[in-house]
Amino acid sequence: MPENGNYMIAAYILVGVILVGYALSLYLRTRRSLRA
Amino acid sequence: MRMLRVGRWITAIGLVLLAGVYVRALSFTPIEQSQGLAQKIFYLHVPAAIWAEMAMILVGLSSIFYLFTKDPRLDRFAASSAEVGTIFCAIVLTTGPIWGKPIWGTWWTWDARLTFTLFLFLLYVGYLLLRSAVPDPAMRARYAAVLGICGMCEVPFIHLSVYMFPTLHPMPIVLQPGRPKLPGSMLTTWLLSLGVFTLLYVGFVVQRYALSYLREQLEAVSEGGAGGGYA
Repeated sequence: MPENGNYMIAAYILVGVILVGYALSLYLRTRRSLRA
Repeated sequence: MRMLRVGRWITAIGLVLLAGVYVRALSFTPIEQSQGLAQKIFYLHVPAAIWAEMAMILVGLSSIFYLFTKDPRLDRFAASSAEVGTIFCAIVLTTGPIWGKPIWGTWWTWDARLTFTLFLFLLYVGYLLLRSAVPDPAMRARYAAVLGICGMCEVPFIHLSVYMFPTLHPMPIVLQPGRPKLPGSMLTTWLLSLGVFTLLYVGFVVQRYALSYLREQLEAVSEGGAGGGYA
């Protein structure tokens, strides 16, 4: 079996960062609009 | 705002369930023998691709209805779906090369499926840039609707590109005529992941829609009018 677990780990971390980052961005943008 | 709270809750549940998908995919789903662990990228790459394409189809459909009805809610939905679609498309275009490198031996190739997907991403970026470049809400909505419809027309080419052109990208193994060519445990993990990505799409779009509505209300208050200038 090929040894390529590091690619899988990189992809899983990347997807988590993108999705959590976008959720955070939405939260901060709406908070800013609500305060305005 | 009730809609904002609902969107936040759906997103939070989606992110918690995403952690569950990670655990199931990494610990309770068998490793594919020929591709090894890299094959597990499939559980994130394919659901993200489905929603990147679905989001553009929904942008196109709401744009068509917007052009007929001039209902600002449809334009707001199209803008929200496009932004979320861009995020999912970014996931597809980053996880794809990470999967491709160990399996194909290259990060990128100008294969039909890959090129069409890159084109979809560029259409999304163009759509968002167009929206930010046109100040008049009615004109912005109309121009964006035309581009959204063009984007929707591109989606079938992405799906059919593997049949129409000789490509390095594999044929569909789930979304194809007949039974999915996937063992039961892998299919279950994939379906769970698709469910979570669906939940995240809904949560993100609801939040983004509420944010657009909020901004329009603020603009209307600052200009001393109402209705967001769609007339």
